[in-house]
Amino acid sequence: MHIEIDRVSKNFGRQTVLSDCSVAIPKGDVLSLLGPSGCGKTTLLRAIAGFNTPDRGSIRIGGQDVTDLPPNQRKVGFVFQHYALFPHLDVRRNVSYGLDIRGVGADQIRTRTDRMLDLVGMSTFAGRYPGQLSGGQQQRVAIARALVLEPEVLLLDEPFNALDAQLRGTMQIELRKLVKRLEMTAIFVTHDQHEALTLSDTLAVMNGGRIEQSGSPLALYDKPQTGFVAGFIGTANMVNRTVEDGVIHIGAVRLSATGSKARAVIRPENIEITPGAASDDWRGKVTFVRPLGPIVEYQLEAGEAAPVTVIALRRAGDDLLLPGDDVTLSVRDPAACTVLAVGDQA
Amino acid sequence: MTDMTGSDSGGAPRARTRGDPGPIGGSLMSAVPALAFLGALFVVPLGFLLSFAFLTIERGDIVSGLPTLRHFFETLTDDLFWIVAWRSFWVGVVSTILCVVFAYPVAWVYSELKGAWRPIVLVLVVAPLLTSAVVRTYAWIVILGGRYGLINSLLIDLGLIGRPLRILNTDIAVIIGMVQIHLPFMILPLISVLDGRDRAREEASLALGASRIVTFFRVTLPLSVPGIAAGASLVFALSYTNFIIPQLLGGGNYTTLALQVYEFIIVILDWTEGAVRATLLLLSCFAIVLLINKLGAWYTRWLEAGR
Repeated sequence: MHIEIDRVSKNFGRQTVLSDCSVAIPKGDVLSLLGPSGCGKTTLLRAIAGFNTPDRGSIRIGGQDVTDLPPNQRKVGFVFQHYALFPHLDVRRNVSYGLDIRGVGADQIRTRTDRMLDLVGMSTFAGRYPGQLSGGQQQRVAIARALVLEPEVLLLDEPFNALDAQLRGTMQIELRKLVKRLEMTAIFVTHDQHEALTLSDTLAVMNGGRIEQSGSPLALYDKPQTGFVAGFIGTANMVNRTVEDGVIHIGAVRLSATGSKARAVIRPENIEITPGAASDDWRGKVTFVRPLGPIVEYQLEAGEAAPVTVIALRRAGDDLLLPGDDVTLSVRDPAACTVLAVGDQA
Repeated sequence: MTDMTGSDSGGAPRARTRGDPGPIGGSLMSAVPALAFLGALFVVPLGFLLSFAFLTIERGDIVSGLPTLRHFFETLTDDLFWIVAWRSFWVGVVSTILCVVFAYPVAWVYSELKGAWRPIVLVLVVAPLLTSAVVRTYAWIVILGGRYGLINSLLIDLGLIGRPLRILNTDIAVIIGMVQIHLPFMILPLISVLDGRDRAREEASLALGASRIVTFFRVTLPLSVPGIAAGASLVFALSYTNFIIPQLLGGGNYTTLALQVYEFIIVILDWTEGAVRATLLLLSCFAIVLLINKLGAWYTRWLEAGR
């Protein structure tokens, strides 16, 4: 089912946690709410689940306005950050809980629970209590418990936080495949951009209770609309320049800009460095070299507010630059740079 | 002996020689003053008292030198003993159940409160413990008592009843007293389990389609069983052995096992009979509290499973 979140605002006391959040998710898509802690992403997810009610705005699921509906009438699956399994019920009864509540017949409970346990690979653990399971197993049970009711919407609150790094990567891919296979619309909350890029069709970057920008992961990477989005997704070199006659100069490249000052967002792979310092160009000095195998990441001191990061492809046998080397920087593709007006916001 | 400390049980002696007191050794040392105090002033006198049950004592002198089970046999074949024991048990059970029923909402409200209200509720819960149980029991006489008691005079003045209700000197008065006096011992353990609970589990239940009431009975209540078991052990043991409340609120003819112990030893001065009942009271109390805890542990076996 498609989900529309329309100008949702929420205050806790005097503190604004959500202000005018709007985003739409087409049926079958996966949306990530990405942002630093305290940005309101969990509050928004909980509002969609019905655990809190927005002060203003509306939430529609499959066209139905559910803004004031209690959580038990929303037909939405929810996976909690720490899974919130029922410790007094074994794995089987955790998974069958939702069916039990609905008064589904015993035969059907058995077959549907079995199928779900099988799907998440937990059949052999059906008799265990949650306290006897590892983090990854608990997460599988939590997902099975939410999915057994065949919800058309699945909400996940930082579901991979409690897992170690290796398992996290595997589970992210598994979850994405599962959600796609079951044709569910899913929204999940994360503060980890790699997780968001792995899982989602659409990203919504949140900051200070607002959705700063939403779109496909690559659209946000290529065309960030704010400095926050640029800095939050991927690595961004922020190059500040004074505007002269409607343009800013970065080395030999001219980019059109408005206002008196402007900031160009240049991704690390969009900068080319050549050894030696040419007279008039954008110059710098290598301060750190990070050989990562297929690519090399250089940190440069280039007279900007922050060190400039450059990523270069590497072929076997290439000579690397060394710290202390003087280099000349140039923008590869001016069209791939984003120019932001420097206003009051950071 | 030397063999035992030497080679066989390697762990403990080796640990001790390295100056590591071990998990038990260290705490035992610091408990010595308390244990000595309890031993000298509680265990030894209790042992004396219980030993009287096996002796025949007349006018303060031990009559026959040989220990005997005769007094136990006589008591246990006495119908009156079983009537009194059954009443003690029944009063304890009913008080415990009512305490759970009344304490749960209080603990629940506490767990839902925020900020300044919490210490206020906590003080209100604990405040009765700051006055003597005897004084509070007397207060109940004033409230429940005959024609001029608070309840009766109010009901009569309102014209709701013509003649005063007989509450004092009945089972009801005893139960009311027990519940009020022992309520804090149920509320406090319940507060500790309800306040520390993970609300996400209740939200998970709601998200799975359960109503708030179903969620309460299927998630919140089962998960608070450890607190209920702890509170029930305390309240049952206290109610089962309390002799002040049945004496003052039950009237002169209301007898429980604990009250009989008091009467035999203090009033009738038949120490043997008193000691027999004290022994039986103590043993049955231990047995029932143990049963409550076994039931609680069986019900909460998932807690063990996690370890």
